[in-house]
Amino acid sequence: MASGSELLRENVAGQRKLLAASSTLAAVHQGGEALVPVLIGVIIDSAIASGSASALLVWVLVLAADFAVLSIAYRFSARFAERANQRAAHELRMRVTERVLDPRGGAESARLPGELVNIATGDARRVGKLQFAIPYGLCASLAGVLVSAIALLRLSIPLGLTVLLGAPLIVFGAQLIGKPLERRSDAEQDEAAFASGVAADLVSGLRVLKGIGAERPANARYHARSRSSLTATLRAARAQAWHDATILILTGLFIAAVALVGVLLAMHGSLGIGGLVAAIGLAQYLLGPFQAFGRLNGLLAQARASAGRIAAVLDTPHAVPGGERAPAEPVRGALSLRAVRCGRLSGVDIEVPAGALLGIVCREPDAAATLAELSGRARDPESGQVYLDGVPLTELDPALLRTGVLSAAHNAELFSGTLAENVSAAAGGVIEPALRAAGAEEVATTLAQGTATRIAERGGSLSGGQRQRVALARALAAEPPVLIVHDPTTAVDTVTEAQIARSLREYREGRTTILLTTSPALLAETESVVFLADGTVTAHGSHAQLVHENADYRTAVLS
Amino acid sequence: MSEFTSESSTQSEFTSESSTQSELSSVSSTQSEPVERLPVATGKQTAGALRELLRGNRLLAAAALGALLVSTAIGLAVAPLLGSLVDLVAAHRAPSALVLPIAALAVVAVARGLTSALGAILTSRLGETMLARLRERFVARTLDLPLETVERAGSGDLTARVTNDVALVGETVREGLPQLAQAVLTIVLTFGGLGALDWRFLLVALIAVPLQLHTLRWYLRHAVPLYARQRVASGDTQQSLLDTVGGASTVRAFGLSRGHTEKVAGASWSAAELMLRGMRLVTRFYGRLNLAEFIGLGAILVMGFFLVRADAVTIGATTAAALYFHSLFNPINVALALVDDAQAAAASLARLVGVVDIPETGHGESGRRPGGGTVKTSALHHSYAGGPPVLHDVHLDIAEGERVAIVGASGAGKTTLATIIAGVHTPAGGSVLLGGVPLEELSPERLRTSVALISQEVHVFSGTLAEDLRLAKPSATDAELRAALDRVGAADWAQALEHGLDTVVGDGAHRLTTTQAQQLALARLLLVDPPIVILDEATAEAGSAGSRVLERAAEAALHGRTALIVAHRLTQAAAADRIIVLDAGRVVQTGSHAELSTGDGPYAKLWAAWSDNRN
Repeated sequence: MASGSELLRENVAGQRKLLAASSTLAAVHQGGEALVPVLIGVIIDSAIASGSASALLVWVLVLAADFAVLSIAYRFSARFAERANQRAAHELRMRVTERVLDPRGGAESARLPGELVNIATGDARRVGKLQFAIPYGLCASLAGVLVSAIALLRLSIPLGLTVLLGAPLIVFGAQLIGKPLERRSDAEQDEAAFASGVAADLVSGLRVLKGIGAERPANARYHARSRSSLTATLRAARAQAWHDATILILTGLFIAAVALVGVLLAMHGSLGIGGLVAAIGLAQYLLGPFQAFGRLNGLLAQARASAGRIAAVLDTPHAVPGGERAPAEPVRGALSLRAVRCGRLSGVDIEVPAGALLGIVCREPDAAATLAELSGRARDPESGQVYLDGVPLTELDPALLRTGVLSAAHNAELFSGTLAENVSAAAGGVIEPALRAAGAEEVATTLAQGTATRIAERGGSLSGGQRQRVALARALAAEPPVLIVHDPTTAVDTVTEAQIARSLREYREGRTTILLTTSPALLAETESVVFLADGTVTAHGSHAQLVHENADYRTAVLS
Repeated sequence: MSEFTSESSTQSEFTSESSTQSELSSVSSTQSEPVERLPVATGKQTAGALRELLRGNRLLAAAALGALLVSTAIGLAVAPLLGSLVDLVAAHRAPSALVLPIAALAVVAVARGLTSALGAILTSRLGETMLARLRERFVARTLDLPLETVERAGSGDLTARVTNDVALVGETVREGLPQLAQAVLTIVLTFGGLGALDWRFLLVALIAVPLQLHTLRWYLRHAVPLYARQRVASGDTQQSLLDTVGGASTVRAFGLSRGHTEKVAGASWSAAELMLRGMRLVTRFYGRLNLAEFIGLGAILVMGFFLVRADAVTIGATTAAALYFHSLFNPINVALALVDDAQAAAASLARLVGVVDIPETGHGESGRRPGGGTVKTSALHHSYAGGPPVLHDVHLDIAEGERVAIVGASGAGKTTLATIIAGVHTPAGGSVLLGGVPLEELSPERLRTSVALISQEVHVFSGTLAEDLRLAKPSATDAELRAALDRVGAADWAQALEHGLDTVVGDGAHRLTTTQAQQLALARLLLVDPPIVILDEATAEAGSAGSRVLERAAEAALHGRTALIVAHRLTQAAAADRIIVLDAGRVVQTGSHAELSTGDGPYAKLWAAWSDNRN
């Protein structure tokens, strides 16, 4: 299994040209920043203290040159780093997307969609950010330290050593003190985030709350949550304040110590005034790069964890192994299940002749879901085999199989886009007949812009029944040789359902169609019905016949 | 912008996670365009709301500002103290003269730390308390809004406000404002300090100001629209990912992978390109600020040169002035960079205050008590906001304990009728009497104890199972909760949960199936215990097998109550005392199943579709 670290290395290396350029320039920039206090010291020493106008002119020009260099270096290093960052994150995002959409499936099985989206956005971004961390956190800080070290040691070896040893000591000491504080404050901030979650939750359940008149208890609950979150936030803020104060005090004392050493050296005559000024400036400046080193560790850990999550998605086992063959063209549409065992199915044999309109009633709902998955090869049977026109599905390439067999799941998602775009997504030609047959034309008439109306995220702007009709129209419009629809009209009112049942039969005339349902309105239109109970086929006949003769069947579809 | 709060503190650039926030925010704001958005407060209203929140906290506000001022002022003593050390060296004084200034430096360090901690604590107490009160008022007002208002605006708008806007204001209160306050104070006091060293230092330092202000204006003019586009673009990325990933099995089943991959790639890369453009803007912004830094610093050094030559100031004072100005680089960058954060927070604040300030609608307060569970509507008319009429002249008379089923095609007005009788929507014309009392005369509490509505919308509230149920009856004992679950057939699975009633359910925790969630809704109904119940296709979304479980649960929950059921399966209608067939907003048939199922009325036709193969 490719680990997160491997993915991380690969991803960072993928941008090595940009990374090298931005790192070099970031180092130049940071070096330039470090030179500013040095140059201030030089100007005070060699121009102001000595009163030399020509020295002033020369050194101010040098200062200008330093600013120009550091500014230009920053400009391009930041742009290169950003480009590398965006490219790296984009590449990971697309790898996750492609893995999720792989015809063999499996990546999304144990993960919520929100979680996968977070991995593709948040985690990809955190890995991408390394393209900043490396030039700025590492290279630039190293350059800053290097320039400062050279400058300091050239000024005075004892003073240089004081600063160079003291600065990291201060930074790491502060980090040590801050660790427990930060941990505590993180935990408390989580609690604060929870309050916001509660509010969003209550708002999204507003209709339910109003239905039972629970506005007051809901408000009381939020109020209590908000108050405890306030207490937690204030505690966190206090912890943070003392943490920051500690660092501030340590820094101040460090500067005082450097000043003391510097001044003593200056009084001794082994350091000039300019050197003293530069040393104090550099002591202040150096805390920055050292802090950046400290943070780099945390960033690396974060990026590694994110890369680990991404790698886990990329490495998820496929739900079904591939398959080489393509279904024979044209697909006649004979589907057969032989001795299929899978989940709740314990030895199922069903023969669906080409062109048949078959109803399958499962007393146990998950058996129906399993059948829907098996026929579209979203999963393979544990034993036994499913055949399309006599070829085992496991020998077929899943993507190619699905051009011949469409299994429309009960909860099939709509996509953002217009109603027409949704229905025509997999359609070859006109969609109007499919819209009519699925009762989706009537849905369109209730919408502001008819079929050109945009459907909100995942069909959220439609009612359950409307969503189902649009989804059914999409399945019909795809015109697959074999169509399996699972509970397509559970949220459709009875009047419309009866109409859909009739038009569905006409629409699919002569092409294999399987209705996995317990709806009598749909079953009444089928040619024959297979009844499954306890994982096996227990009865077979027409809907009317089964209703008459089979008490179990009657219970399953009519009560 | 928060990604680049300052140039020289490069560390903050890559630690910031705030863009996650903005990406999420735009998802909800870019979805379906609502017809009528919720109001946004004017600047005046927002300021008024802030004053109101500040009231009672004035002392705290003064103390917080005072502490920040003192701490910043103390911090400014560092540069002149260092300057005085330089002067001591220049004057060849003995080392003993060092004791005082060095001790002073140490004292300053400690005092500055302590006062800044105090300032931070007081500021956060002030900001957080105000924020808490604001969000509490927001939620209270939201829960009280008429559902019609929320639906017209689309609940996405409200959700975006309660999450992103509250979060953005909170983030600003927590991080932005203290930083901004500190930076501004530092800048102001440093300029003061420069002036105190010598007024001519102040004068030359101000040369850089016009350039900085001009840069800021230039930046905001370009950045604000660009960042808005960035938010939209990253929202699009998020949305197309959610669409694709959430519907992955559908994408595969329909063979739509290529199109979806291209869509995600397109959205992702165009968001990336906007980020690159943003970076170009930011680097140009800092480039101009670098120029201003050089001009200011150079001017001070040149001025120092002349002043020292004229013996007007000491070398130490010049050192202090240069150090002062050098130490301004960061606060100026921070302050300028925070300006657009502050603008975004102000916009969020206006959206929050806009909802808080929606005027309250009058509630019935007559104190009248419904006499029993009868329902009577007369001449009921309704249409939505200028649209076509959805209900025409509906007369209903439902006896106490009667069970009435409403049947009709979608769009017939079933849900509208249900929500009007439940008092959720106000009818455009006609009247509704519950237990003989006009609906509009009932106080909200009375209304809620009289009638409850369960719709097909399923929601499990985050929290423990017990907390979810107690929303219906806060005083309920565990035994009552269990009894309610038992009545709706949910006792088995509820007991099987890892922590029983204390299991955390809802988004991000233990997820209940649709059937279980709706059983929970019915259990809540039992706890509310109203005489009149309305079920609006409450059993529809569960799929065929689940709906049978739910119908049994509903049966138990409806026992002994007046019930109006928007029927979804005809078996539900057949079991009712009376059936009402609605068509295009009119009652076209009414009677018992036995009466209506024969003949050739609309109901009989429907029933035939179910049963013609059966008998």
